[in-house]
Amino acid sequence: MDKKKLALSAVAVLATISLAACSNNKSSSSSSGTTGAAVKLSAAYNNTKATDKSATNNSTLKVAEPNDSPFQGISDPVLSTNSEDADVFSPGGSASLWKTDKNYKIVDGGLANQRINRKAKTVTITLRSNAKWSNGSKVTAKDIEYPYEVIANPKTTSQQYSADFNNIKGMAAYHTGKAKTISGITFPDGEKGRTAVLHLDKVTPAMQYAGNSFIWSTVEPYEYIKNVPIAKLASSSQVRKNPIFTGPYKLDKVVEGESTTWSPNKYYYGKKAQIKHISINVVSSNNIDKAIQSKKYDFTVPASVMHGTDYKQLKNLKDYKIVGQPALSYDYFGFNVGHYDTKTQKNVMDKNSKMANKNLRQAMMYALNLDAISKKFGNGITWRANTLIPPIFEKYYDSSAKGFPLNIKKANKLLTDAGYKKRNGSKWRSDPNGKKLTIYFGAMTGTSAQAAEYQDYLQQWHKVGLNVKFTGGKTMEMNSFYSTLQQPKQSKIDVYAAAWGLSSEPTPTQLYGEDATYNMGHFVTKKNTQLINNMNNSKAWNESYRTKAFKEWQDYMNEQAAVAPGSFSYSWNPVNKRVKGFDIGPDNNEFWSSLSLTSSKLE
Amino acid sequence: MWKTILRRILIMIPEVIILSILVFLLAKAMPGDPFTGSINPKADPQQIHHLMKINGLYDPWYQQYWHWVVHLFHGNLGNSYQYQEPVTRLIGGRAANTLWLALFTMILTYAFALPMGVYAGRHEGKLPDTIIRVYTYVTYCIPFFVILVLGIWIFGYVFGWFPTTGSISSSASGWLSTIGSRFYHILLPGILGALFGTVNIVQYLRSEVIDAKGSDYVRTARSKGVPSKDIYRHHIFRNSLLPIAAFAGYSITGLLNGSIFTETVFSYPGMGLLFVNSISYRDYTVITALVLIYGILNLLGTLLSDIILSIVDPRIRIE
Repeated sequence: MDKKKLALSAVAVLATISLAACSNNKSSSSSSGTTGAAVKLSAAYNNTKATDKSATNNSTLKVAEPNDSPFQGISDPVLSTNSEDADVFSPGGSASLWKTDKNYKIVDGGLANQRINRKAKTVTITLRSNAKWSNGSKVTAKDIEYPYEVIANPKTTSQQYSADFNNIKGMAAYHTGKAKTISGITFPDGEKGRTAVLHLDKVTPAMQYAGNSFIWSTVEPYEYIKNVPIAKLASSSQVRKNPIFTGPYKLDKVVEGESTTWSPNKYYYGKKAQIKHISINVVSSNNIDKAIQSKKYDFTVPASVMHGTDYKQLKNLKDYKIVGQPALSYDYFGFNVGHYDTKTQKNVMDKNSKMANKNLRQAMMYALNLDAISKKFGNGITWRANTLIPPIFEKYYDSSAKGFPLNIKKANKLLTDAGYKKRNGSKWRSDPNGKKLTIYFGAMTGTSAQAAEYQDYLQQWHKVGLNVKFTGGKTMEMNSFYSTLQQPKQSKIDVYAAAWGLSSEPTPTQLYGEDATYNMGHFVTKKNTQLINNMNNSKAWNESYRTKAFKEWQDYMNEQAAVAPGSFSYSWNPVNKRVKGFDIGPDNNEFWSSLSLTSSKLE
Repeated sequence: MWKTILRRILIMIPEVIILSILVFLLAKAMPGDPFTGSINPKADPQQIHHLMKINGLYDPWYQQYWHWVVHLFHGNLGNSYQYQEPVTRLIGGRAANTLWLALFTMILTYAFALPMGVYAGRHEGKLPDTIIRVYTYVTYCIPFFVILVLGIWIFGYVFGWFPTTGSISSSASGWLSTIGSRFYHILLPGILGALFGTVNIVQYLRSEVIDAKGSDYVRTARSKGVPSKDIYRHHIFRNSLLPIAAFAGYSITGLLNGSIFTETVFSYPGMGLLFVNSISYRDYTVITALVLIYGILNLLGTLLSDIILSIVDPRIRIE
């Protein structure tokens, strides 16, 4: 694996989004918010040809998973740490509890329904009466609870435990090993019943959305795996070789690291699967475009990583339709304005830090020509981001936000006004106190296109008289980049370019909150904390209030420019024209069972 | 002879220990840890700390090393952080894939290269020799990954003669079809590897044959009236094999190294890719296990080469 792929896989790992979001929830129309994109992609392929019954029954739907290494093979969303595993096991439904609408809001009709009781501070999860695993056994209330045990078990290998789970009563005691069970999860009609109740310290509006960090969104087959010690679960055959599922398909076979094959699950409660055979194969991302061009595959797994260069190769294929929607991720620029206090476990802004001046940060952003960069290297599917909430969140995305279009004049003026002037005939500006100013830019080693982009950033900054250099003189390997940024206090990187993958519930507390360790630029203000809290305060149960809170925060972040938007892009797939019913929108909860074929051979 | 071998093996023990310490230290000295790659808005740093702690990653290196050695003697190489399964099982699966592909490639390489080398040497300066020489240099000049990408494109995608991904078809079931499918999957990478990996053997063999042609014992054999065919078969060929035999030990133990290029292009799960991935993910347990295995194999390779050499060439037999 060369460095390019490393950086890309880093992005993929970062994009470990909630499984509920990447398995079965995808949207129909997402035309808004993609104004900057050169092309408009639709999230669904509306194939008007009639389904060919015999083709649908007899031929195999061939799906590709572009990836440069074999997949890990952990089917259990509680234990899996990467999106490839989620992708290759997605026809099984990922054990997802919820059905969602196009805003990822949980609605009735999935494996289970949830009721939030704001007074009693409880969340009641009730399974549908015909909920079954693919081996025919019933899904029970214990199956709802067991994921919490696996996640919080002191010996677990799961990385999913977060402080937000301490909101469940008794969870912290179980996590530290003081309690044998989680007292805050009860079963009104017994473990074998259909209902589990979570007793909480507080309920928040975020809980209404799939992918929130308070309530786990999948079930575990307790009866099936109860005899495996939790520490060994990830390597057990129940999870790797013969896992069971709750979705439209059951697993026929898994070839470790290479492929999975599927057939309809007759116990599935929802829409019956139409295609009788599905195979998913890992294909090297070096030749995924050739594989598609020579019609080896019907499509690539939704949400899998496809590059812009592949888009250029595939967009004009006669027999494939390109389907896409804005990705659950964004590229951004971060500025180092403080440190993390390990004693109080809080981020602190340093007034005297190099990047503390708002004008300087804004000027640096206005100096960049992000539109031109996207146009040149984005292949049409990447565009300049105007805010820190990606447009896939139609409701919360602030389409009116300006972001930072190129404006050299403004950048110069901002700098001069703030006292960053060229003194003593120097070609570089010095800081307001007259001291030499050298700014260090941290960037991860990636593709040659990325290298060119970074060079352009430096040039643009030089144009406004700022002496910006790469940290250490060159781009950084992903691991050293992040370990530098994650030190509580560091002065090696002043400004950096990175990306975040998001869960389908976009509250940014864990990225930009006061005590967030991932707040790597350490931007903290009272107002920011206030604005983030507004998204989930008691008034935020009102939709329009919550929407407003999100937009206010986006405005504020753009105004402060401590974390500034870089680019958005499409998550896209080439789909062969024999496939019918392909729709990756978040409100299509029956992605795999909606598919059928119009011909026995790829067109 | 046996004494020498025994002595060599005894010397290997301190070598392996030093190697393992070095590997262990170097792996830990890389920036980052097994969990750096998994930062995401949903993974809580506290939980990552917890995992680091229960995995002993905060302990001083000598303690970690000691734990590792103790486990090693119990046949336990630890768990892969990335794959969350025992390293032995992980490597076992990959090693089998790599071994079959490499063995097949090696057999084919020798099958192509030996006749070519002898033929070129025998007809030195004539047209066949020139063709073979040009062929070996051309194949030597082209970067191997270019060949792989071209090969998979032409024979895999355009003509569709060969499978393009994985080590086995997902529909293969049963004993015969499993073996058949595995063989089918290594066919194209194996042939490409062999066709484009002949240069060393051909060139060595050719020059040895040319040397041997003019040597005294060949002249003697000729003057005795031994048929030319027999001279080549019995006298020249065996002597010319010397330098190739010297490499044989390495190539046999090198079978497990795997090829990053082949494995990436053909999405073939093998050791090369595993090694590179384990480094980028800082999967310490896998890195140390693999480097140790490679180290031991290399030591064995040298030993094996010496043994083979002494079989082929009685003159250097050690007593």
